[in-house]
Amino acid sequence: MPDASVTSDEKTVSSEHHWWHRWFRLPGELREMGVVGINMRNARFLLPNNPRRLYELVDNKLRTKALAEEHGMNVAETYGVVRTPHDANKVDKMLNGNESFVIKPTRGSGGKGVLVIDGKNGKNFIKPSGAELTPGDLRNHVSNILAGLFSLGGKRDYALIEYRVCPAALLTAMSFQGAPDIRVVMLHGYPVMAMLRASTKESDGRSNLHQGAIGVGIDIATGITVRAIHHGNPVTTHPDLGIELIGVQIPEWDTILKMSVTCQEMTGLGYLGVDIMIDETKGPLMIEVNARPGLAIQMANGIGLMKRLEPVVEQHRLKPNADMHAKIAFSQHHFRAKLPPVRT
Amino acid sequence: MAVALLIAVGGGMAGYKSSKLGVPFWEGDQVNEWLVESRVSFLATGRDVKARLALPSIAVESGSGQESGSLDYHYNVEDDRGEYTAVWSSGAREDGQALYYRVRFKEGLNSGGEPIASVEKPKAPDVPKLPGSLGTAAQSIVTRAKNVAADPDSLFVALFEQINSGASSQEYLIVKRHYEKEGIANPNIAMGIDLLGLAGVPARPAYGVSLRDQNSGQIPVPLLEYYDGALWKVRNPANPSKILDGRELFVWHRGGGSLLDVDGGDNSRVTFTVVKDRIPLATLTDLRDSPLLVSTILALPAAERAVFRYIVLIPLGAFVVVLLRNIVGIATLGTFMPVLLALALLELPLVQGLVMFSVLVAAGLWFRFLLSRMNLLVVPRVAACVVIVTLLMMLMGVLSYQLGFSVGIKITLFPMIIIAWTLERMSLIWEEEGKRSAIVQVSGSVIVAVCAYHFMKVSQIQYWAFYFPEMLLILLAAILLIGRYTGYRLSELIRFKSFTNA
Repeated sequence: MPDASVTSDEKTVSSEHHWWHRWFRLPGELREMGVVGINMRNARFLLPNNPRRLYELVDNKLRTKALAEEHGMNVAETYGVVRTPHDANKVDKMLNGNESFVIKPTRGSGGKGVLVIDGKNGKNFIKPSGAELTPGDLRNHVSNILAGLFSLGGKRDYALIEYRVCPAALLTAMSFQGAPDIRVVMLHGYPVMAMLRASTKESDGRSNLHQGAIGVGIDIATGITVRAIHHGNPVTTHPDLGIELIGVQIPEWDTILKMSVTCQEMTGLGYLGVDIMIDETKGPLMIEVNARPGLAIQMANGIGLMKRLEPVVEQHRLKPNADMHAKIAFSQHHFRAKLPPVRT
Repeated sequence: MAVALLIAVGGGMAGYKSSKLGVPFWEGDQVNEWLVESRVSFLATGRDVKARLALPSIAVESGSGQESGSLDYHYNVEDDRGEYTAVWSSGAREDGQALYYRVRFKEGLNSGGEPIASVEKPKAPDVPKLPGSLGTAAQSIVTRAKNVAADPDSLFVALFEQINSGASSQEYLIVKRHYEKEGIANPNIAMGIDLLGLAGVPARPAYGVSLRDQNSGQIPVPLLEYYDGALWKVRNPANPSKILDGRELFVWHRGGGSLLDVDGGDNSRVTFTVVKDRIPLATLTDLRDSPLLVSTILALPAAERAVFRYIVLIPLGAFVVVLLRNIVGIATLGTFMPVLLALALLELPLVQGLVMFSVLVAAGLWFRFLLSRMNLLVVPRVAACVVIVTLLMMLMGVLSYQLGFSVGIKITLFPMIIIAWTLERMSLIWEEEGKRSAIVQVSGSVIVAVCAYHFMKVSQIQYWAFYFPEMLLILLAAILLIGRYTGYRLSELIRFKSFTNA
């Protein structure tokens, strides 16, 4: 699949096969492909564009959600916030009859401390994997969150209880348990790259690629999936479910792009990743904003981030006051991927 | 720009120090001198204070530099027919007092324990009074020793070999227990003196300093001086058959009399700090007068200076961490945990240190999982981990001592809080991301720590860090440069190995 898509004029040293590719790539090859490393991301994109004071807006999910609602964005409904160990007993009341919900730390990162509950069995709570939790287990999880176990820098934290997203059937079919989410990476408000993260048996309901989740690259222009990787290697079908991952049209793609740009406008961060889930009934919901988005997205798309970041830097220099529509149009026009044959 | 400035300032100062002040730049070029610092401390009781410390005559006479440090004390050296005493006196004082006396001498100088002729023939020793059965036991020991020993030298060796060996005859045990019960500071010495006295050999205590570099706060090594009929000889009772070696031991005080007398103070004690000084005294004096502020580290008392030996190593470790994290890309648990681990490793042999660390972490992790079942809050849980780690360390110390490894005792230097936090974070990662990433991160930390250890262990680097602290500015410049490095990390070359253009 990758070989087929390489056209003759794109053929470069890096696409030739060398014995060392089994073990590593030369820095020159990576540079040529426009791969961005951590040092590069931090020094050229994070540090200059994301002032420290803005981090608070995105590191605290309560503030991000409030901000998003002010800007008319759809977010997962908040059932309640546990602020003191005493409140931990009131979880039942906060749930107000909802049987499925998510508990997460307001300052967590990387999905740490997120507990998903699918339903109830008598007094016990059921996780998507089918495991049961007693009310005591749940309280304990909440008190761990309050003590700052999962938060950045171990600060004391609050536990957020919110609506459990019920992902669109199209997406659930692509993921083993866990709900797939869509990550859009933005620079100066231009969507530069997007991917869908689907969990596998190995990743145990999580969507971190290094834990074995699948990254599916999405064409910015159309919202159609173009490529998928598992442990860094291209795949076309889900390893557990066998379902085709390429050529899937993500629903409401325009809304997703608009939400992403709004997230950039409301936080003021120059470089960020926006995580979005698509609910069966409520449509796209903004889940969180990440001020330090990872680099695996370029593997999922098979395109070095630099090839997209540099045109954006140039465009932003030329037109610093472009509006949302202009930005989306620019990205859709310039970052159009070579589409795979549409699935029937 | 800043980098160039830092390199210029750091290199310039180092160059100036090296070329103008004559501080040797390479470790091999140095003159080795021992600096022995004695520190007399006591609690003044509010009366007039007078402290007398016996001094090594050989060092005083060879004139290789001595000095004393004390605040508002009158100080002089008393010379009594070749026996020297430092005398400090002052009016009424209260609270803790510290007096310093420093002496330097060239390495390889004689130990000061050479046989010397007596000024006058010593009186026959007083026969010690030992009650009843003790006396008989002591007498029979001496008789037996005399049978196998031809002269006082061999008698000394024979007696102390018996005293030192654990399995000796019933009589030895009885006599030994008597002296241990008396509560004397050095029962073996007191017993040896009495037994030698019974045999008609005059003997008296002497004190030495063990010449090991960076040995701070050591107590005087108890020695024994005896008269063999013509000469007074000093030997170390712990190693009776060996003639004192001037490279290992320096005799601070001999000739009877007390080492330290303090009037007007309680709890007086004297400790020694030994530093191998690599800069000749003459240069050092120049350095202290020179305007180079940084070199004032050498003006500190030796005990405080010994602390800096470790402090100046920390930036070196931090540099290794920066290098390995930002250029190589090794994941570690906690940013600077490896530096502390490396510092702890410096204290004991590397392999044992690593074994200790792994055992400690493995055992601690197991207890940590037991703890997690009890659903404790975070801070109490970490505190519980600290308690458990402490107990484990004690257990390992005792166990390894019983098994005959002395390293076990030094394990206490491992930073306990760091280990407790390592356990806490490791177990969290274990639960959150699986054991693979927990083990990867801990091994990453250990690898970085071992690299930092090897870097800090290079004696040339230690030498530069200690004698040319301004070279740290060059290190700072290197760190700044790495801070601006935007290239790939080595680990990323592997991470992106299967990257293909779509």
